[in-house]
Amino acid sequence: MAEKVTHSIVVGGAIAIHTQDGVIRRVRPIVLDNNDPKGWVIKARSKVGGPQDAEYTPNRKVQPAFIALTEKNRAYAYDRIRYPMIREDFVETPDGKNRNTENRGISGYRRASWDEALDLVVREIKRIQTQYGPEAITAMTSSHHSWGNVGYKISTFARFFRMLGYTEVKDNPDSWEGFTWGAPHTYGYYWRLGCPETFDLLEDGLQNVETMIMWSHDPDTTHGGYAGNESVMWRHWLDDMGVQFIYIDPYNNFSSIKQADKWIAPRPGTDAALAEAIAHVWVTEGLYDKEYIAKHAHRFEEWCDYILGKGTDKLAKTPKWAEIETGIPAADIKALARRWATTKTMGGSGMRAGFGGVCRTVNGTEFARTMVLLFAMQGMGKPGQNMWGGNTGAPMDYDFWFGGYSDPLAMIWNEPIADNVAVNPVMQKLYRPNLPDAILDGHYEWYGEGFCGQGIDQEFTQNVYPAPGCSKVHMFWRYGGTFMGTMLDTNKWVRMYKSPELEFVVNQDIHFHGEARMSDVVLPACTNLERVDIGELCSSGNGGYQSHSQTGCSWQVVVFQDKAIEPLWDSQSDYWIFAETAKRLGWGEKFTEGRTELDWCKRYWEKSDLCERISWEDFMKKGYYIPPVPEDRVRRYGFRWFAEEFPCDTPNHKPFQEEGKLGTFTGKWEFVSESLQYWAPHDEVRTPIATYKHSWEGHHAIKAKKYPLQLISPHPRFDYHTQHNSSTPWFWEIPENRVYINGNPYLVARLHPKKAEERGIKDGDIIELYNERGSVLCVAVISYRCEENTVHAYGSSGIYNPVTPGEESMDIGGCVNILTPGRLIGDYVPGMAPNSTLLEVRKWEDELPSGQFFEDKLDKVAKEGDPNAETCIEIIEGHGFEKIQEKVRKNYLKKGAAV
Amino acid sequence: MRLGIAVNSQRCMGCWCCFTACKDEHCGFASKLSAAQPMMGQKWIDVREWERGDSSRHVKSASVPTLCAHCKDPACLKAGKDGAVYKRDDGLVIIDPEKSKGQKAIVDACPIKVVFWNEELEIPQKCTGCAELLDDPEYLAYLGDPALKQPRCVEACPNQALFFGDLDDPNSDIAKIVASERATQLEPLAGQESVVKWLNVPTIFLAGTVYQPKELDEVLIGAKVKLKCKETGESWETETNYFGDWEVEWLPKNKTIDIVIEADGYKAASYTAKTDADHYVDTTYMVRD
Repeated sequence: MAEKVTHSIVVGGAIAIHTQDGVIRRVRPIVLDNNDPKGWVIKARSKVGGPQDAEYTPNRKVQPAFIALTEKNRAYAYDRIRYPMIREDFVETPDGKNRNTENRGISGYRRASWDEALDLVVREIKRIQTQYGPEAITAMTSSHHSWGNVGYKISTFARFFRMLGYTEVKDNPDSWEGFTWGAPHTYGYYWRLGCPETFDLLEDGLQNVETMIMWSHDPDTTHGGYAGNESVMWRHWLDDMGVQFIYIDPYNNFSSIKQADKWIAPRPGTDAALAEAIAHVWVTEGLYDKEYIAKHAHRFEEWCDYILGKGTDKLAKTPKWAEIETGIPAADIKALARRWATTKTMGGSGMRAGFGGVCRTVNGTEFARTMVLLFAMQGMGKPGQNMWGGNTGAPMDYDFWFGGYSDPLAMIWNEPIADNVAVNPVMQKLYRPNLPDAILDGHYEWYGEGFCGQGIDQEFTQNVYPAPGCSKVHMFWRYGGTFMGTMLDTNKWVRMYKSPELEFVVNQDIHFHGEARMSDVVLPACTNLERVDIGELCSSGNGGYQSHSQTGCSWQVVVFQDKAIEPLWDSQSDYWIFAETAKRLGWGEKFTEGRTELDWCKRYWEKSDLCERISWEDFMKKGYYIPPVPEDRVRRYGFRWFAEEFPCDTPNHKPFQEEGKLGTFTGKWEFVSESLQYWAPHDEVRTPIATYKHSWEGHHAIKAKKYPLQLISPHPRFDYHTQHNSSTPWFWEIPENRVYINGNPYLVARLHPKKAEERGIKDGDIIELYNERGSVLCVAVISYRCEENTVHAYGSSGIYNPVTPGEESMDIGGCVNILTPGRLIGDYVPGMAPNSTLLEVRKWEDELPSGQFFEDKLDKVAKEGDPNAETCIEIIEGHGFEKIQEKVRKNYLKKGAAV
Repeated sequence: MRLGIAVNSQRCMGCWCCFTACKDEHCGFASKLSAAQPMMGQKWIDVREWERGDSSRHVKSASVPTLCAHCKDPACLKAGKDGAVYKRDDGLVIIDPEKSKGQKAIVDACPIKVVFWNEELEIPQKCTGCAELLDDPEYLAYLGDPALKQPRCVEACPNQALFFGDLDDPNSDIAKIVASERATQLEPLAGQESVVKWLNVPTIFLAGTVYQPKELDEVLIGAKVKLKCKETGESWETETNYFGDWEVEWLPKNKTIDIVIEADGYKAASYTAKTDADHYVDTTYMVRD
């Protein structure tokens, strides 16, 4: 009965996993032992009423979010894909036609062996390549459904498809659209995709800040990306010091409701108007850093003219004007502006200061740009004056390089990790938010490279699908996670999947989520806990586009992600699936370079600084390595170099940046953007001067007559992307998350008491959220935490339960993205705007549909192999989980006895 | 030695790590001290939350991690027959999973509803304080320091809202936090001593905002706000802040409070409010003398 303890990293943080006899017993935080290094120490103010000085150092445990503590559930989940499956009415016609594609999502599956499934996949790859060319195959990864440098999407997936040749689907920056497409035109930082640098700002904040502006920011919910709960104590420390937290959000979010000294609630999508009114107060009252602006701002006076009503629109952006747009009293706007300007103020939007729900509205670019300008006006980079959201910028050892998920040097398709670089010969591209439009219409044009980290000009590259001389795509290999809950206008994706244009659809995933149910062949991948990998907590790599994101953690942790248990049922690691497919295609050796997954892990140790710090054997044994932060560390405060005019010393990679200057055309804060003036002077969505504009789907739109409420669907508190809620019925017992009724976990949707009363809706009622794109049943929570016109329901639902599966049907799984607009923000702004959604809400008076609508398919396949197999409902409500563990345990012990 | 858990409600951000860790430990796994917790339906530690306030102008929420209090004089122990509920030397209260079979009265006896009925096994179940882990010398032996062993909920808490340790050791973290923070025993346990110590569970706030005359669109900073309880004569005083906001927390429940708002050059404004619930009293536009 001895317990084995291994370690891993998942999207919710770092974890320790206890296993007993081949089954997972428990999942815990990593608690540091007495041999682990001392934490960093920051000397700063004490809490209110305390002595003069205090020292701050992190707790001696690496704190995951609660989602990470459900990894045991995710492994034995009811919706786990247990076996390779083939759609029952799939016909392998030689020409790819007449394959009953309209039945995708409707038809059930039959169990297949790996040989049968992979042989079919390989035959189809060869057919498509011969019939149309390599570009007729496309493939797309998830948004982070697992973790690790080897098994991860940009690594193993990319290695396979670059070798195969495929039409790449470019990602849009779906969590920070407005900052990517807006902020670089104001301050550069396109190499950070529009987000600011926040190096060492935790120390600066603890020592200097008096006011925190948390604008569209819910740090306790978004967890600094992948940092789990590593930063929560920092904000408690600030709070205890008496730092004033001002939260601006149409929903009094979960961080705000606990820590806000003031909650300001703009009507959704009007934040740019509020920002302009703040500027109006500052300009008219002289409340900004005039010396700094004189030196560092470009075309500031022209911008002031616009704010003061002397610009082309002749409209002064007064607090009174903003009151009408935003619903916030003019007096409060003035008070906010004055507090901000007269105290040392830091603030940010969303998880890395340049994210947040507002930047995912139609006005997102203009909000992001104006917000950056506001911080510039107060002398950004001076002590206590910066863009910083209280959840990044911890001290770290900048000299230690390991490599993270967006670091080109840390990928197994690239040198030095691989001996040979894998290069994709296909130039044709697709673009994720409009993939369905491209497939359904057969033609699609757009601007931009998705992530435009190499230069502002990348935003304006013109793309056409199909590319000249190229075939359209006819095979789609979908890998990991589902976009039903994260991309917009979900029903568009349903239509795409039913199109005969897609002759063959493969889905490789761990759980039977929305998109897996729309495929012809389903390949069961295993979880992080069932394979080996290596990775660093919350690190996108110190050369990637969100460079040094691990400063959102109190501890920098590199983990040997040891295999805790054997892959369950017939599942296999993603690496195994790709290697096995490559072998059948005749280039298996080339793909693996003769390496096992463990060999690849060791390769990271060998090629990174890790090998200089700890031996491979000790690292595997201990399970993790924490690089200590040197006690005499050098401080490199973000933007300080700019404010104080010395050569940039922050450890950020910045191609082409001139010394001492910002990455804009002029090297200054551009109040009138020269890059937009050059590239897109007539764009009406994103103008050279950032201006508040009425949204095409906002309260000024004609559609608002019919659909007067506005949905905001922020990044979820009780889920991550689409990964946890669906696998963890425990979460359905959290009243702020879901309510389990009649075999279905209904999502909570929140609305203001006034609007609820007008509609006769009471707390706990089933309500229908609807607009012309679809409808979703939710459970009403009536709350003063909502701005009056706002309906709040978390996006990224992993649960997608259309009442008529495979059709554009009402959903009871809480997939509110069915309601969001599939349209791009603008012709030149290829971002999405889920938080610009109009809808209406009514009480649901009809009978409730019963149960969920995909389990029967899984149950049928499970029973084909094993009549005693545990059904989904048995795993949710009964003893299925224990029975599965019992079987695995028996098997494990039997094998052990044989050895 | 008296093992206890301190729950600082003010620190709790409602992140549900404690709840998840507890479920992870006990759902589907029996121990020497308890039968397995069913996969759904029981919350040995629950985060009980309520919204505070009656206006979007001033709204807060309370989060109270709620688990078995491990009472000094437990009602469940009295309700249990044949030694079904017992108290350990370290102060933790345990329900014996065999002796308690059929004794639903143990569930009903709990004043804070943290004992759950297992329909299938016909037994009452609740928090064990993770005593089965604390007892096990092998558990976390790999860390090399027995002091690092904590109940799962406490270990998982990132907010320092939960503390575990020996209440009788004045140098322990738990003893220090209990000594320095506001003790707020849960109301249904009034008069009962327990080794789970709730701290800073909120009572009632009254709040408001003070503006200069309406046409000016300006907040009024530094207005004096005086509160006096009609019944007890207790009084409180505060000032409006940079937003013109005022708030008084920790008011006694179910009283009547007279409020006077004063500022130089303005007529005083007065209100009477009940502390039956948290209230936003008013948006006050002051009138010149």
